[in-house]
Amino acid sequence: MEYLRDINEAKIEKRMELRRKFSRLMLIIPVVILALLILSAIFAPLLAPYSPTEIAMTERLQPPSFLKGGSPKHFLGTDSLGRDVFSRIIYGARISLSFSLIVIFITGTVGTILGIISGYFGGRLDSFIMRFTDVALSIPAILIAIILAVGLGPSFKTIVIASSILGWSGYARVIRGEAMRLREVDFVAQARIIGSSRMRIMIKHIFPNVINPLIIIATMMVGLMIIIEATLSYLGAGIPPPNPSWGAMVNDGRNYLETAWWISFFPGFCIGLVVLSCNYLGDWIRDKLDPRLRRL
Amino acid sequence: MADILLEGRNLTMLYPVRRGLFQGLIGMVRAVDNVSFSIERGKTLSLVGESGAGKTTTAKSVLLLERATSGSVYFEGKDIYQYNKDQLKREYRPRVQAVQQNPWSSMNPRMRVKDIVAEPLVVNAKQSKKENYDRVVELLDQVGLKAEHAEHFPHEFSGGQRQRIAVARALALNPSLVVLDEPVSALDVSIRAQIMNLLKDLQEAHNLSYLVIAHNLATVRYMSHGVAIMYLGQIVEYGDTEDLFENPLHPYTNALISASDLKLPEDRDQNEKEIILSGEMPSPLNPPTGCRFHTRCPEARPECSKIEPEMVTVGKHQVKCHKFV
Amino acid sequence: MSKIVLEVEGLRTSFFTRKGIVKAVDGVSFFVREKETLGIVGESGCGKTVTGMSIMRLLPEPGGKIVGGRITLNGTSLLELSKREMRNIRGCMVSMILQDPMTSLNPVYTIGDQIAESVRMHQNLADEKMITNEVVSSLRLLQIPSPETLLKNYPFQLSGGMRQRVVGAIAMCCKPSLLIADEPTTALDATIQAQYIALFKDIQAKTDVAIIFITHDFGVIADMCHRVAVMYAGKIVESASTSEIFKKPQHPYTRALINSVPRLDRKDDRLYSIEGQPPSLMHLPPGCRFCERCSDSLEICSKEEPPEKNIGNNHTVSCWRVQ
Repeated sequence: MEYLRDINEAKIEKRMELRRKFSRLMLIIPVVILALLILSAIFAPLLAPYSPTEIAMTERLQPPSFLKGGSPKHFLGTDSLGRDVFSRIIYGARISLSFSLIVIFITGTVGTILGIISGYFGGRLDSFIMRFTDVALSIPAILIAIILAVGLGPSFKTIVIASSILGWSGYARVIRGEAMRLREVDFVAQARIIGSSRMRIMIKHIFPNVINPLIIIATMMVGLMIIIEATLSYLGAGIPPPNPSWGAMVNDGRNYLETAWWISFFPGFCIGLVVLSCNYLGDWIRDKLDPRLRRL
Repeated sequence: MADILLEGRNLTMLYPVRRGLFQGLIGMVRAVDNVSFSIERGKTLSLVGESGAGKTTTAKSVLLLERATSGSVYFEGKDIYQYNKDQLKREYRPRVQAVQQNPWSSMNPRMRVKDIVAEPLVVNAKQSKKENYDRVVELLDQVGLKAEHAEHFPHEFSGGQRQRIAVARALALNPSLVVLDEPVSALDVSIRAQIMNLLKDLQEAHNLSYLVIAHNLATVRYMSHGVAIMYLGQIVEYGDTEDLFENPLHPYTNALISASDLKLPEDRDQNEKEIILSGEMPSPLNPPTGCRFHTRCPEARPECSKIEPEMVTVGKHQVKCHKFV
Repeated sequence: MSKIVLEVEGLRTSFFTRKGIVKAVDGVSFFVREKETLGIVGESGCGKTVTGMSIMRLLPEPGGKIVGGRITLNGTSLLELSKREMRNIRGCMVSMILQDPMTSLNPVYTIGDQIAESVRMHQNLADEKMITNEVVSSLRLLQIPSPETLLKNYPFQLSGGMRQRVVGAIAMCCKPSLLIADEPTTALDATIQAQYIALFKDIQAKTDVAIIFITHDFGVIADMCHRVAVMYAGKIVESASTSEIFKKPQHPYTRALINSVPRLDRKDDRLYSIEGQPPSLMHLPPGCRFCERCSDSLEICSKEEPPEKNIGNNHTVSCWRVQ
């Protein structure tokens, strides 16, 4: 019998195998990028060719070394005060990355705990926590930051506190919804039937199953936190000016975008790179933690 | 005198219905209305009915997932609704376990089989890890799985195997009663028979009592010793399985039997036409007056819509219908 | 004999997954006539749903592919059509009812809008009034009481049985010549299920539609279907008229399936059960696919696939035991 369709299955299989290999390869790239950035932040004093705060007015606004007119001394050029952009990026990674990781850790933990409690218990406790969350979502972080800056003085600690005080609310909202859904799932009823305590149910059954949304929010927050750090610092609540952070550097180059774009571009590029890598990494962590998706 | 393990006495469960901006109370749903039943040791009682009949809610009151608004549950002659938290955890919960309908959602997808099956032991019995593991292997063997399955995750199993895991978990604490909520309805036809046979074997081996929730009458006939047919929160017919199937009395029971009978149209006698009920089960928020079935009953009489029939004993079973008053 | 509406020959559908090729449907042939109901019965994973989806050409992308065979609907070869041409046929010449009435309607549109959408897509009706008329008449066909008021309702206001009727109305509104119903009664209660089946028999009498009824429930088959095809692991192992299947089942799998269903009219002490699981569709055994679970297998069964034999009366079986 001759059929109209006859597709060679082996051929398709081969193509799919290639695609699989490629996607596995793609996974290494974000890991390498993040590792490099974190390592360079740790070993900044060893890696940076110049001091990040050293001003050299004679060498101001020099283009990167690989461009026409660039000085070989400055790989990524210099800014409006003649500071080496490359060195500032390496040092800036320290502040930007540590700030966002610390804030995400604090807000993620608080938000998850409150979200699970709120969603699982429901009722009055839920209403109470959620009203609290609504308030937190409605207060501008900048306001808190300025108040804190006045009270505590501008510092790294101040902006960490300022961002953490309100930042948990987004997590709490999403995790609460997830916990509410899970509360109705059969395996939670089963846990109650065998006599598990509420604490055990929340830790053993609810928490592992809210990890997916948690990772998604956390990875989305990385980029946002870098920007928030810059904004708060710009407003005078955070790290005072000569110290580099990526957000602040992007901001510094704002007036020179037409003539010296590299001042803003390279730190901005790094922010983008981190955000992208974190998203990929988040997907990967999610897959690894989920036994259903784990590759055998 | 029969050895009664568990008894539900006049269970009624009301749920408030709220609606609108201010969540005003607009009524009470009588999900379960004055339901009484008893289960003998080593025997099976099935609650049969369509969705919304109140059978799952009744089971929840036995499992204490929810408490009845009035009425009570007696376990070995004692009213468990009088127990305090501590007594419940020690004396009741471990002895009444459950297998749920959907083997795909009844297990935490992030736990291994050994942890799933061992969880009742971890929560209730303070034993060493080794003891727990040995028990898990023993339980898996009883339900027809192998020891190496303990290391796997639930998603690696088929529906039938998962239901075996669920049964193993339910047996972990050596319960006296297992509530089986539609234990086979999510499974494939050829697998259903395996699980039903397994459940029967386990019942014999451990002298278990089962409270089965089901909508498939054929399954019920095979599994159970006693049957309670439920309609809109009430038991309409109740009795010994054989007696009830050989001699169904209530018009609703007759319609259910007709709907689930496996028969070719050509094999039906002329006078044995398939009964097809018209309409649907009314909302429990606003149940009909009189007999709750009268809106769909092919044999309804004038008094049916006015007076609620009493439960009467006819032969070996009880029925709630004006025909027999 | 009335005319053949759909003919499927040697259909093969595979899924290309991360772990390998899943041969979900592997060489399936059958046909359906006008006014006829063909039941496809089998367990989950046997390929019955994929067969239905292949006819609709609605396989999940990426991964699902029809890799071989021919599907002819009213003389049109469906596999040769472009995606656009297929869209015009779908919902018009052939339509489908899915299992779950809770999810197959969109919760944010009224019942009227959802049926009208299908009418608008396939019939050139300029006038809104004519469209409404079509919608109402399809609701009438499904015996929905007071269709005019129901039009303005949203799905959540209806019971499961009523929703499944609305789904039926959407499927029937363009008067298809073939209706594929994938477990349409499984989610319904027993008494509602009986209503729904009676309803479809009535619709078929009125409209000539050919129906493919995909199910795992022999009770439904007995009530509803004229002919039955039993599927196992991607193949049709036996096919015959409904009464032949019930009275003279030839394939050991069919026999086992029928015996393993508990009966209402007698008390069984112990159910006949088929031990084991169906084979993985990724690693199919070389011989008969049922061989491993068969209580009656021969030596040849594990080596060579049995050919399909016609034993008369359009009763075909693929089993070495059948001569």
